[in-house]
Amino acid sequence: MTLLSLILIPFIGSVLAAFLPLRGREAWLAGGVALYGLIATIYLYLGAGNGGVVRYEAEWLPQLGLDFVLRMDGLAWLFAVLVQGIGVLVVLYARYYMSPKDPVPRFFSFLLAFMGSMLGVVLSGNLIQLVVFWELTSLTSFLLIGYWHHRIDARRGARMALTVTAAGGLCLLAGVLILGSIVGSYDLDAVLAAGNQVRAHHAYLPALILIALGALTKSAQFPFHFWLPHAMAAPTPVSAYLHSATMVKAGVFLLIRLWPVLSGTPEWHWIIGGAGVITLLIGSFNAIFQADIKGLLAYSTISHLGIITALLGIGTPLAVVAAIFHVLNHATFKASLFMAAGIVDHETGTRDMRVLRGLYRVLPITGTLAIVASAAMAGVPLLNGFISKEMFFAETLGVGGPDEWWMSTAAVAMGMFSVAYALRFIGIFLGRLPEDLPKQPHEPPRWMRFPVEVLVLLCLVVGVLPGRSVGPFLSDAVVSVLGEATPDYNLAVWHGFNMPLLMSMVALLGGVVLYSLLQLRFDLRNRSGVPVRFELNGGHIYDSIMLRMSTGAGALMRHIGTQRLQPQLLLIIVMMMALPVALVRPLPGLDAIRLTDVDLSLAALWLIGGGCAIAAAWQAKYHRLAALMLVGGTGIITSMTFLWLSAPDLALTQLMVETVTTVLILLGLRWLPPRIALEDMQARVSRRVRLRRGRDLMVALAGGAAMAAISFVVLSGTPPERIGDFFVLHALSEGGGSNVVNVLLVDFRGFDTFGEITVLSIVALTVYALLRRFRPAPESIEIPVQRSNGIDPAVKQTPTEQAEHGYLMVPGVYVRFLLPFIVLVAVYFFMRGHNLPGGGFVAGLIFAVAFIVQYMVAGTAWVESHLRLRPHKWMAWGLITTALTGIGAWLFGHPFLTSHTAHLHLPLLGDLHLPSAFFFDLGVFMVVVGATMLILVALAHQSIRSHRQLPGDGRLAPERDIR
Amino acid sequence: MNLVIALAIGVLFGSGIWLVLRPRTFQVIIGLLLMSYAVNLFIFIMGRLMVDRPPLTLGDGLPDPTALTDPLPQALVLTAIVIGFATTALYLVMMIGSRGVTGTDHVDGRESEE
Amino acid sequence: MLGWLDHLILVPVLLPLLAGAVLIPINETHHRLKFAINAMSVLGLLVTALVLVQLTDGGHWSEDIGVYLAANWLAPFGIVLLVDRLAAMMLLLAAVIATATLLYSMVRWSRIGVHFHSLFQFLLMGVNGAFLTHDLFNLFVFFEVMLAASYGLLLHGYNVNRIRAGLQYIAVNLVASLVFLIGVALIYAATGTLNMSDLAARVATLGAEDLALLKIGMAVLVIAFLVKGAMWPLGFWLPTAYASASPPVAAMLVLMTKVGVYVIMRVWLLVFSDGGGEATGFGREFLLWGGLATVAFGAVGMLASQEQGRLAGYAAIVSSGTLLAVVGYGQASLITAGLFYLLSSTLAVAAFMLLIELVDRVRSPAAAMLAVTMEAFEFEENPAQPVGKGIPAALAFLGLSFAASTLIIAGLPPLSGFVAKFGLFHALLHPQAGGAVAAPAWTFMALVLVSGLIAIIAMMRFGVRTFWASGAVAPPRLQFMEAAPVTLLLFLCVALTVQAGPIFGFLERTSADLHQRAQYVDRVLSSPAVSAGAGEAER
Repeated sequence: MTLLSLILIPFIGSVLAAFLPLRGREAWLAGGVALYGLIATIYLYLGAGNGGVVRYEAEWLPQLGLDFVLRMDGLAWLFAVLVQGIGVLVVLYARYYMSPKDPVPRFFSFLLAFMGSMLGVVLSGNLIQLVVFWELTSLTSFLLIGYWHHRIDARRGARMALTVTAAGGLCLLAGVLILGSIVGSYDLDAVLAAGNQVRAHHAYLPALILIALGALTKSAQFPFHFWLPHAMAAPTPVSAYLHSATMVKAGVFLLIRLWPVLSGTPEWHWIIGGAGVITLLIGSFNAIFQADIKGLLAYSTISHLGIITALLGIGTPLAVVAAIFHVLNHATFKASLFMAAGIVDHETGTRDMRVLRGLYRVLPITGTLAIVASAAMAGVPLLNGFISKEMFFAETLGVGGPDEWWMSTAAVAMGMFSVAYALRFIGIFLGRLPEDLPKQPHEPPRWMRFPVEVLVLLCLVVGVLPGRSVGPFLSDAVVSVLGEATPDYNLAVWHGFNMPLLMSMVALLGGVVLYSLLQLRFDLRNRSGVPVRFELNGGHIYDSIMLRMSTGAGALMRHIGTQRLQPQLLLIIVMMMALPVALVRPLPGLDAIRLTDVDLSLAALWLIGGGCAIAAAWQAKYHRLAALMLVGGTGIITSMTFLWLSAPDLALTQLMVETVTTVLILLGLRWLPPRIALEDMQARVSRRVRLRRGRDLMVALAGGAAMAAISFVVLSGTPPERIGDFFVLHALSEGGGSNVVNVLLVDFRGFDTFGEITVLSIVALTVYALLRRFRPAPESIEIPVQRSNGIDPAVKQTPTEQAEHGYLMVPGVYVRFLLPFIVLVAVYFFMRGHNLPGGGFVAGLIFAVAFIVQYMVAGTAWVESHLRLRPHKWMAWGLITTALTGIGAWLFGHPFLTSHTAHLHLPLLGDLHLPSAFFFDLGVFMVVVGATMLILVALAHQSIRSHRQLPGDGRLAPERDIR
Repeated sequence: MNLVIALAIGVLFGSGIWLVLRPRTFQVIIGLLLMSYAVNLFIFIMGRLMVDRPPLTLGDGLPDPTALTDPLPQALVLTAIVIGFATTALYLVMMIGSRGVTGTDHVDGRESEE
Repeated sequence: MLGWLDHLILVPVLLPLLAGAVLIPINETHHRLKFAINAMSVLGLLVTALVLVQLTDGGHWSEDIGVYLAANWLAPFGIVLLVDRLAAMMLLLAAVIATATLLYSMVRWSRIGVHFHSLFQFLLMGVNGAFLTHDLFNLFVFFEVMLAASYGLLLHGYNVNRIRAGLQYIAVNLVASLVFLIGVALIYAATGTLNMSDLAARVATLGAEDLALLKIGMAVLVIAFLVKGAMWPLGFWLPTAYASASPPVAAMLVLMTKVGVYVIMRVWLLVFSDGGGEATGFGREFLLWGGLATVAFGAVGMLASQEQGRLAGYAAIVSSGTLLAVVGYGQASLITAGLFYLLSSTLAVAAFMLLIELVDRVRSPAAAMLAVTMEAFEFEENPAQPVGKGIPAALAFLGLSFAASTLIIAGLPPLSGFVAKFGLFHALLHPQAGGAVAAPAWTFMALVLVSGLIAIIAMMRFGVRTFWASGAVAPPRLQFMEAAPVTLLLFLCVALTVQAGPIFGFLERTSADLHQRAQYVDRVLSSPAVSAGAGEAER
């Protein structure tokens, strides 16, 4: 439980810090949280010390073998102490460092969240969960680095850090997934136990590479080291925390954690060791030439992480001991150095070592502390850095036998470099104080310096009495990693005169010499940037990659995507033909086409129909009216075909729909732009256009041929045993109607009709909503020429006048007489529908037509002044009627839409069979009437409103609502 | 007879495709009309062809399914016709609406750059 | 007699229809009334969906499959509605997203233009119908209901971009519908049935000729579905439509895209799963590789997109590509994870869709007003003023929700997106057939990982640009009713994460069902009609 609280409390604290109005007391909250954690951890030593393990488990996702497991052993304990101990100090430091102008709540909230995720990484007893917290550290550090997000370098650094580490995290995820699939469990204990099995497995190498990618990106190892210097844009407390004790240590922690499983193979040796050695050289060398203090510290961090990585890569048990030990030492002196740098920055207002001199006079205490710490960093004897570095030297000697000395050489070189940059850092305290400092420096507040004092004290204690101070804890950590493979070692300052000691001496002296040489030759003090341009600038590479990616993606999209309609339709049609050919084996064959069974009259009919279609296709661009008529012709032929092939209902419906559609499109034609064919048009079409047309023609021909072929195949095949027969058998007996098709529509498949009328209403509503906002194009507003020539007297009349006493009087009267008759016909078709061709839909269309003709002849104004149609209500009531008819069946305990027949005995009508289907069909009728009227009326209204259009603005004159 | 119908469907569908691939909204709407004729006929013939055998069970006694054409495709076609009618109307209104707002009758609502 | 609980199967279709119909004649001036009716219906749908999930998971029906014979005709002759765990889950998802969208639209969007509420209800009717129906042609009808409503909604808040997008969207879908019809017709010609289970029963015994016809029919049909599901190269319409639709509508579109995937899942697992004779496993390869291509395409699109609407569109493309690949891969445990992924990604992308408009206000604090006035300028007679009160800490809220949805969409820890991704990988690395991991699995994993990384990069770019680089001075104006829905959706994602265990259990049962073709065939074809009861006249 205490273990769980270690993780939970920081996150809770983070939320509180963000949302409670603490007014500057966030620091206390954060400090309290960290302190609690520290104490709790120390208490947990009872369990986790001396090779013990503390576990906390909670079931989360058992199906995937994933539970929430916290596990604290010696190593985890050590890191937990590190994270929280330094955390306490950093909070205390930040309390004084952050200026009141900064949004402090956010800062501490992020810091606590980061601490929580870091602890999660350290304490995870489950690989997947470890990855979860791992990514969380990336995210929270992104927020911390970008804390001063008004500064562009902060934004850039944050994005860079997140991109690199998150990418690494994804690799790590893949890696641990493979690891888990090898071992068969994601639980850390199980994985740690299965080392040999893993190393023997054929998926070992990919797993190793992926996990290494994760660790190396996180620990800023070559070639991913470039993000760390950019991350220095963060506030100094953040740098002190992330880049000494926590964030970057997560990578090496992972390597140590998985050392028993993955290490011991040449691949491990070369990947990890190689990366480490290159990194420690590059890091330490670059560090010498940084003008910015934090830059220097950043590169030195990189090189020290390189040392740890190299040690792990060496792979001997002793090397692991040295690695863990150096993790501690580096954390202590680097944290203190960052804080000291922060104090200098805070006090003098600059971090530029080309300016800073002689600070010792004004900052004696801080100066002393900083000098001691940097001595530790340089590995001066009697300081902690010395011991672990000497262990490193000792290990490098062992690598690959006595004749292999490249690694030792690298180590010594690194030693010299680090001495050199340590000297350069110390240099800012020597000499005489310049006058032109941005601020007049003096010692910081007592408690701001306190953390530094504590850490430097630790450096000294560990440096002098390593065995007494950290010995036991270190051994616990080592045992928890190495188990019985733990070597016997002694943490002593003095091992007598031996090779490592010699190497240290060489490094120290060489470093001093190197520094003074650089000083004389290169005037190092006033230098920034490496003299030799051998190092590839990761930052620039990153930027250019990012840029290339987005531009490249844009370019690629132009090839693999489109925003135009025509290619999309083309693709759909081509896919429709290609996919069956690609997928279906064997394709059905065409049997021999016998011309004997060609029915001549039908052929003649379709000679016309097909001709019309092709002609329409030909004419649709320049002669819209002609094309419309031709399509109408095709429609008529189609409906005749239906009639011929024993589908009277279809014929009827097709005919009516044909009529209404034609009227609709006629109403629409008026709003289309004029398009006149030019004489020399064929000459002007570019080759490219011709090609496109040719391609489309091919596709069209192929599509037509395919449809014809498949139809022929179907027609000449024998029909399967189909469900159609059932309807014929039961239509009359149970459906109560002899027109099977109509019974299908209102009963067997009434549910389809149900949806169908909904579609109709939806479209009507959409059309209405659309046309309320309709704004005609300027040039199609004024009255067309045909209607504005002076000869025609009708021009001077309004449509109403024309219908009242103009040239439309006779037809007007005629259609008015016609109205009741058409309505009668509609009723007739409606009533017979259930038994003979007809039905609600056809009746509805006929009924609608009755009104359309009124509109066409008498004009909108006249019609609407004489009869009030309420299309909305028609539709609504139609839908409700059908729905209620369907629900009615529930009363009889039957499912929706079950049809029933009521027997009424009415006077003079006698016995009356009233099937519920009747009401259903009535609903259909109403919806059809309503929808059709709404669409047509809405269209018809445009011709009135457009003339009332005020010139200039697009606003419409208020129009009479159709309700 | 089969051949004729098959060819008819082919011709309608083909001309439909050609029109649908053209750049002007009016061409597209005409193309959609032709294609939907073709598709309606296509659904219809899935019940195979029979002359003068409408699915009306007028006579008394149990009707003989084999003597009548398959009613189901007809019902499907009816639904399809209605929905086709609705969507055509919608596209028509879109067509004029887009013409009004964008000033062009190109299917993309803007003249293509080429 | 059937119990009242059985009628619940119908409610998801019937309730929106009635609500929509009632809403039609009510004048827009009573928008409070209209909103109330709409909200009532959506709430009803939510409750119904919850109950249905309970029923399907609680052993109320045999085999946990509820069958409803519309018009009381036996399958395969009548139209059958079928609810199983999958359908119930999808209904619930639809209801949840509808709730969020509706709340969001209350502040402004539902007051611009006419008939928003009716169309909204009809859209729900179409979506739910598509989830429930077990009949191919009826599926077509409900697709049309859904599409017709979506046409109307896409054009809601009429402006030039929406007209352009609508013109394209409608044309594409009209052609797709024709394709759909051709496919259904061929399937009927080959098998003589339209009922899915009947189809599954007959497919094993088909002759060579008919089998070929059936396969052709299916191949044609699937294209219609894939246009809805936006598989590359059939989904180019999607980003444009998403980017130009009004936020609530865009959120509903996210749901609609999943309908295409759902239908493919349903039909393919039923008809072409093991025991389908010759036809077993038909077209799986195509779905798998097509899906993977779609993921790649979506990822590239995300990287290339310069505006957030398109970005979200491509995110949706990635997710449906992943799902298609999951279906094509054909492994029950993968389907389980895929379903979890479906839930998580749908919720997240929907939330992001709603968020975009609010986030844009950070860039220019005036944007909130700007949007309204723009609507007004675009032929709107009465620009509705936002109602409700601004919420405090708007910027923090926006930042948090943006980050959360980014995490989920990119599949980063700790939210549900990561759980889903982990589930997928786990399933891929533990093949149920045993043996080594197949080559496609590695491609799949690599693509999903890379697309995730690209999602991070792309969305971080927008996030940084908006929240950090914009130097937003005044906190954006934000209405509580706009923030609440986003919070709801994201909270659900968190719940998914915390409750991952139980939910995975449910999903495992779901995908186990889907692979039992026999029990569907048995349940559907053998469920009896209600015999002529007492209080009823002769039929």
